[in-house]
Amino acid sequence: MRVNVDLRLKDVPGQLIKALEPISVNEGNIVGVVHNHDLVTGGRISVNVTFEYKDQRSLDAIFSAWKERGVEVVKMGEIVRTFAAEYLMVGNLAHSTLRGITEGIEKMEGVETIDLQYSLSTSTANKSVLLLVNLRNKEKVRDIDDYLRSRSKRNDFLLIRGMGV
Amino acid sequence: MRLALVGFGTVGQGVAEAVAMKKDFIFDRFGTDLKIVAAFDSMTYAMDPRGLKPLELVAKKQSGKGLGKTRPKSVAEMLRELDYDVLVEMTPTNIENAEPGYTNIRTALECCRDVVTSNKGPLALNYRTLDELSKKNGVELRFEATVGGATPIINLSRELLMAEKVESMKGILNGTCNFILSRMGEEGLPFEYVLKEAQEMGYAETDPSYDIDGIDSASKLAILANAIMGLDVTYNDVRRTGIRRITLEAVELAAKEKKVIRLIGEVNGGGVEVSPRMVPLGHPLSISGTLNVLHMHTDLAGAITVTGRGAGRKETASAIMSDLVGLLKRNACLLNGKVK
Repeated sequence: MRVNVDLRLKDVPGQLIKALEPISVNEGNIVGVVHNHDLVTGGRISVNVTFEYKDQRSLDAIFSAWKERGVEVVKMGEIVRTFAAEYLMVGNLAHSTLRGITEGIEKMEGVETIDLQYSLSTSTANKSVLLLVNLRNKEKVRDIDDYLRSRSKRNDFLLIRGMGV
Repeated sequence: MRLALVGFGTVGQGVAEAVAMKKDFIFDRFGTDLKIVAAFDSMTYAMDPRGLKPLELVAKKQSGKGLGKTRPKSVAEMLRELDYDVLVEMTPTNIENAEPGYTNIRTALECCRDVVTSNKGPLALNYRTLDELSKKNGVELRFEATVGGATPIINLSRELLMAEKVESMKGILNGTCNFILSRMGEEGLPFEYVLKEAQEMGYAETDPSYDIDGIDSASKLAILANAIMGLDVTYNDVRRTGIRRITLEAVELAAKEKKVIRLIGEVNGGGVEVSPRMVPLGHPLSISGTLNVLHMHTDLAGAITVTGRGAGRKETASAIMSDLVGLLKRNACLLNGKVK
């Protein structure tokens, strides 16, 4: 998981390393650091850090290391990363069929959003529909692939997958 | 090195021409000749232990009179009695039962002869059997021409990338489908129209199902899965969807998302599959025209992409020549005691 934190550090040399070290020591991966030298409040400067952590245990270890080192955490927010899977469906795709397909995907674990785009054709018999699914977990793409494969057999439409996430 | 050429259609004639064309190079480099001691087409044959003249064989075949005498028995039976070093098997692919190529190749391997082939059927259906037989008898079975025409896919992976573990691969393995799909996208033409155009230009057969239903791509993918990734699969294990049902509307909808539709063969942990896919513009697999491309991921080198012309008389002959040169190099090493 990825997290974004606002930290307050003492405005003396060596403090940034003190703040970042616990992340790497506890198997975290630093994605970005914004160091606000200009924003000094009560003798402390503000640093915004985005990092990925392995599990709750490693996140707890990072927080307790900060506490020990006198690094203040003023704000924390979880960043939910999503993965987009794309599918193109071609064939006899009535509204009821498409509704059934989207309802089936909505029920699946880890699905954030579903978006459908239609071709301009008025013919239901050979409609093209683009399906975009946003997922929290990229391992779940295979479940959606399998689900859509079985629907393409049952409803006799051509399924064109994207290149994977 | 004495060659027995079996199959003397477009590919066979291309190989005979390449043997003539590269005569001096082979002699300068290896101090020997590629000598054609026998050539067979579907009905006739020519044989001479001193060597046949390659260009005369081509001229004879093109005159419509066959290669010489009518064959009294099957090619396999004649191969058992023939004195040669390498069978060059170029009969057409038969994906139902792999014959007559399978029996021809098996016969040569049983007789401890090296084999070079462009025929996909025997390998797509019986890779393991033939591979084990060649190893048991200490001879080589080489088949660069079965996949990707002039694109050096198999020998690159098995020789230059020998230390790599290929973890996954994706590719465009059929130039006809790629021509049709790229024309649909670039010119806004419907499938049926472009298919007719491809037939008129000689890219597609009168019965195009072998290409557009993904049969050709699936045969090649089965060979690659065995040869490069060490899987034990046949053509029948490949999940296959062709391009017949792709509409212009679908192509246009993909284009709005900056994607093209291509027939992609893929081998990964999830299986072996040939199906149409949406490929982002600029991706190595978004190429247009009749080109073939293979994109591999390996444990050390990472991503490797190879592209080239996938079919044609000269291109296939080039792949067969690379296999023959591979055998000449091996023979030279054996002679010098470099390889035990």
